Amino acid sequence: MPLRAARVGRVGVIGHPVAKTAVVAKAVTPGPSPVARTAVVAAAVTPGRRRRRI
Amino acid sequence: MTANEMVMSERSLDELGPVDYLVVEFPAGASNFTGEMAKELLALVDSGTIRVIDLLILTKNEDGTVDAMELSDIEELGELEAVEAQLAELLAAEDVENLANSMEPGSKAGVLIWENLWAAPFASAVRRSGGHLIANGRIPIQSIIASIEADEAAAIQGA
Repeated sequence: MPLRAARVGRVGVIGHPVAKTAVVAKAVTPGPSPVARTAVVAAAVTPGRRRRRI
Repeated sequence: MTANEMVMSERSLDELGPVDYLVVEFPAGASNFTGEMAKELLALVDSGTIRVIDLLILTKNEDGTVDAMELSDIEELGELEAVEAQLAELLAAEDVENLANSMEPGSKAGVLIWENLWAAPFASAVRRSGGHLIANGRIPIQSIIASIEADEAAAIQGA
């Protein structure tokens, strides 16, 4: 299917070839201990868990 | 006046929320379209969280050539008809080439451009307060996991 004519010849908004990002699903795919890994992620975003050291 | 210009003129640019894009790849033989994605996308639109600006379906052939399909080319859109009617066709043909660069040969991909309506009032307030965006981005889940695991390892070593 061709693109609509209105899209052809216009200046784009992306501006550069897009590189493939790391596939996030692989990082959170359950491994030997899926419960533990889920807990790690949950702990990372729990309010007040960390204090910044700058 | 193009559809894109019409949408932009209906609302002040100062009220426009941040606009994002994503490319979701479906490797050959891995797609399982049940309507679930459309349902969740519509929920975001109906709740006023986002406004869909553009949506294309791309196919990258084994020889690297790319076919693009407009949402309107799909015969049975179902509930997505309401979304299709509001599209502003922001992407140009050269954008399609740039976005398809991220795809593997033999795969299909959905390209979604949306405005974050939820962020628009805050962004407007920032601009009215004299601020302007100088950096933004997304933190990968991998980085969060690595950070927390490093903290835990340091805690064990220090114990």
